[in-house]
Amino acid sequence: MEGRPLDDIALVERARNGDVNAYEALVQHYQELAFRVAYQVTGNAADAEDAAQEAFVNAYYALGRFRPGAPFKPWLCRIVVNEARNRRTSAQRRTVLAERALVAQSSGDSAQSPEAAAEADAFRSTLVATLRTLRQDDRLILAYRLFFDLSEAEMAQALSVPRGTVKSRLSRALARLREALPADIRMPSPAGEHDG
Amino acid sequence: MADLQRITDVELERALRDLGPRYPYPPTPNLASQVRLRITAQPVAQPRRFELWRDPRRLALVAAVLLVLLGAAAVANPATRDAIAHFFHVRGVIVNRQASPLPSFSPVTPLDLGRRTTLADAQSSVKFNIAVPAELGAPDAVYVVSDIPLAYTPRPSIPLVTQTGLGVLVTEFRGDVNPVFLMKGLGEGTTAEEVSVNGDPGWWISGQPHMIYVEVGGQGQSVPLRLAANTLIWEHAGVTYRIESGLSKADAFRITAGLP
Repeated sequence: MEGRPLDDIALVERARNGDVNAYEALVQHYQELAFRVAYQVTGNAADAEDAAQEAFVNAYYALGRFRPGAPFKPWLCRIVVNEARNRRTSAQRRTVLAERALVAQSSGDSAQSPEAAAEADAFRSTLVATLRTLRQDDRLILAYRLFFDLSEAEMAQALSVPRGTVKSRLSRALARLREALPADIRMPSPAGEHDG
Repeated sequence: MADLQRITDVELERALRDLGPRYPYPPTPNLASQVRLRITAQPVAQPRRFELWRDPRRLALVAAVLLVLLGAAAVANPATRDAIAHFFHVRGVIVNRQASPLPSFSPVTPLDLGRRTTLADAQSSVKFNIAVPAELGAPDAVYVVSDIPLAYTPRPSIPLVTQTGLGVLVTEFRGDVNPVFLMKGLGEGTTAEEVSVNGDPGWWISGQPHMIYVEVGGQGQSVPLRLAANTLIWEHAGVTYRIESGLSKADAFRITAGLP
């Protein structure tokens, strides 16, 4: 991961000079991130795909305005989110139910007992469903930090806010998530928390 | 088990980090190929190319739309005026001025020119007479695909073209019945000049390499985008001829001697 920004700088520079292969390499590397960021905003796959694709095309034509040496990832995220916000549809509500079902099937912690795995699945399902009820800005900042691992500096660029604002917004988003969770929810037992 | 109402930010963050890799995202679509296509081959509505070709009224409509898209600024600019409005003079060829900076490509060498064969075999597979330039003599290699490429390796008088790995590439195809489309995208450093080849209308495209996209048949079979060198292209009696080389205009025209 540490070597990636250097790769990005070289690829972006080549793409700025019109090298389509270099830009395609950037797209391939960031398409999952772009799609998932868009999905956090749109809540449905079709709109997320459209938004991510449009964002990559727009980003290509905006490369001339991209500051050489600047990080590509937060810049791309900003473009993706702008595109995704234009595509939010009412399909989002339906998606919440689908997600709840999906996440319940996603646990693969073989080290856990069936009971503990079920408990962890239930917890995650509730977490996903609750995240979906948050304001878009809260959901996005939590996803940037905790799902997509953006640094505070990257988040500040992606959100076009000062770094200090990132910290306070993150803190408020966490607080609102906590408040939105059901009162009777319990943390799953820590048995399956080892990272593979 | 801890009561969640007492959960700290750190614990909640840990729970979210744990959720991250398990979040139920739909599968990520492959965006790269679509993005590449969009940033390299912009204008014409692709699925309709062949229908358009057979319907002059639609063709005229597309021409008009393209003119509008290219805009007054392009029309006012002598450097781009050349490519506008002429792109149907050679059947099976669309010449198109790119609105944005032309992308660059890694050289696609060796080119995939189709199945290598003999001249006789190639001739038996098409209904027009394959013409061999007298100036160049028998080709070093003959291929057959939907068009007929004749390949010539570099010689002392014929420089290597880095875009093709060849000296001269002559391509012949039926532009009237065989739905082969050459999309030619020209960048700023490329000029397109309308010419007459043995009395038939054609184009001399020279300067900076231009983008070429070949689409064959209606089955979606296509040859990857690549950059092409100086090209002389014209049509005679329904057959479209294309000579790609690093030669000057005069030398390229010399090759056409004896060709239809």
